[in-house]
Amino acid sequence: MITLEKQHSWFERQLAAGSAQSLQSTPQWLKLVREDAIAAATQLPVHNRQHEAWRYTSIEGLLRTSFAGDEQAHQQNQAAVDDLLPQSLDSYRIVLVNGQFNTQLSTCGDLPPGVKLESLRTALATDSDLLATWFGNIANHSESIFSALNTALINDGFFIHIDQDIELQRPIEVIYLHLSEDQQFMMHPRNLVVLQPGAKATLVERFVGAAESSYFHNNLTEISLQQNAVLKHYRLQDESRDAWHLSSIYVDQQSHSDYQGVTLAFGGAWARTEYHLDFDHEHATCGLSGLYTVGDKQLTDFHLTVKHRVADCRSREQFKGILYGEGRAVFDGHILVDKDAQRSDAQLSNDNLMLTRNAEVDTKPQLEIYADDVKCSHGTTIGRLDPQQLFYMRSRGIDEATARNMLCQGFAAEIIDQIDLQPLREHATERLVDSLNRNSQPEAGR
Amino acid sequence: MNQMKPNSMLSINNLTVDVEGKTILHGLNLEVGKGEVHAIMGPNGSGKSTLSHTLSGRDGYHVTAGEALLDGEDLLSLETEERAHRGVFLAMQYPVELPGVNNMTFMRESLNAVRRARGDEELDAVAFIKLVRAKAAEVKLDPKLLKRDVNSGFSGGEKKRNEILQMALLEPRLAILDETDSGLDIDALRIVADGINALRSPDRSIILITHYQRLLDYIEPDFVHVLSEGRIVRSGDKQLALKLEEQGYGWITGEAAA
Repeated sequence: MITLEKQHSWFERQLAAGSAQSLQSTPQWLKLVREDAIAAATQLPVHNRQHEAWRYTSIEGLLRTSFAGDEQAHQQNQAAVDDLLPQSLDSYRIVLVNGQFNTQLSTCGDLPPGVKLESLRTALATDSDLLATWFGNIANHSESIFSALNTALINDGFFIHIDQDIELQRPIEVIYLHLSEDQQFMMHPRNLVVLQPGAKATLVERFVGAAESSYFHNNLTEISLQQNAVLKHYRLQDESRDAWHLSSIYVDQQSHSDYQGVTLAFGGAWARTEYHLDFDHEHATCGLSGLYTVGDKQLTDFHLTVKHRVADCRSREQFKGILYGEGRAVFDGHILVDKDAQRSDAQLSNDNLMLTRNAEVDTKPQLEIYADDVKCSHGTTIGRLDPQQLFYMRSRGIDEATARNMLCQGFAAEIIDQIDLQPLREHATERLVDSLNRNSQPEAGR
Repeated sequence: MNQMKPNSMLSINNLTVDVEGKTILHGLNLEVGKGEVHAIMGPNGSGKSTLSHTLSGRDGYHVTAGEALLDGEDLLSLETEERAHRGVFLAMQYPVELPGVNNMTFMRESLNAVRRARGDEELDAVAFIKLVRAKAAEVKLDPKLLKRDVNSGFSGGEKKRNEILQMALLEPRLAILDETDSGLDIDALRIVADGINALRSPDRSIILITHYQRLLDYIEPDFVHVLSEGRIVRSGDKQLALKLEEQGYGWITGEAAA
């Protein structure tokens, strides 16, 4: 059972373990933010079943584990790191190895004018004032003990700043590589993305963990889109199956801006993605979508909070899951439409394909509407593969395992097809197929 | 038990099938020779679809007695996909939609699975596209439908043509067409029938399952059988179909019951 005492003592222990590696010489404004986060953490209620945001996602396993800072963790041999690095896109690239910026593997030197892409450490040294303008304004440090821990233990991450009306042609790619041998370590990457009015960019984040590495990755990303800015944000979570992963994404949108986020989640033992999005300016649009596959000893959780606070904004949320073995998924999508948010247009859906009897999904789509002139809908489905479809395919000579995989891929295609970078789409499809094949082995001949 | 004919393709003997605990086929016998076209007619509930589903191995159809031999091999012990590999093709009354599964990918996967099983080389993407385009033109299927998801949002006629296209690609030895005429207007029916007629060959046998004689105006059968209460109660040539059209099924089924 999780008690407030356990939660506090875990927080204190991680704080002590991580502070040696976290940034030491920091500007005064950052010191204040960190102190504030630490103070806030002690005021938080216990994250147990009584806490709505943590109702179906137990943090007991996390609280039982004491993580080390990443002192040794980033002293990995280069061959193992190279081995883990996925086929890169044609991109401006930042690579973080166990949370630390890796200069050799990163290719962010040759940027067009008006575009900043740097590690957070570099940005603190060279662009501290610019950083101070935005940093911490979008995220809530006291959302959970994890956002507080991230803020308190800031070590590295990335900073993107794109000037007005610049349209970046190549995507920005951030690759997180995680390797550990015997140590369970933690990292808290902290990221900030600012697109000035009319700027357009594509950001790809890839989380890759070496097999059997055990660690806790706890990133927090703040995104600010100024008027008419457009960001496509693709995220591919492919952590080790022994890893804890938490991503918290906070998006602030000015009028007529557009945020399109696609997250594909295949890995992790315990993996949670939170999107927090507030519409405080009219005529902004966002699309959040996601695909998850979960099998034995995996829990994947998506938490979305979209707040329509002003009129004429549009949000679309579409999440699909494929569950097998004893896989568990949690989906909590909450859309709030305030009383002044007239003509809001919001759609939320969550569809789950259960390949086995022992898989479990807890899904909770919620629309909370106080305005009277809105167009909103939500829906959720939980189903299994259609025996008629399987029979049809088999009657055409396709064996059962292949037919099942093709149908699952068909189910997932709606999400994967939203990625408009072909190599990434192909890679995502491969990862999906890997994950399905892993499942079809013990299931074959059923 | 029937004696297998020397040119036999399919030999069904005393086939008895239960569905959900209820016996639907009661000792059905049927001999289909190579290159022959057999029409199986009968009122609703006579077991026509049960026959086609049993032959293609659908779950839920329990064979309690009898056998079905394809080229002398026990068909009923094979998995559905193995039957397809041996050359059995079922054109469905209601072709299933496969959202998210591309039609071209589906057909290529299907053809290559059958080719692999036959020991033929798989077709690469380029060779396949060339082949499927040519066959699609033969059955007058809009090539745009090849790029869509399988049957998703297709009209009734397009779905049936898509079935015939698959039949043309897979070149089955035994094609079972289950109510292929249902839901088609005269123009669509003619196109589908032309496609089927083009596939008639001395090495290919066809079973047409239909409720109405109409289809047989376009595809002339060698034999017509009437199925009633799970048995073939009368066999003849196409004249039998015409008589059924005029007089309905009552005179036969009544006779069988008597």
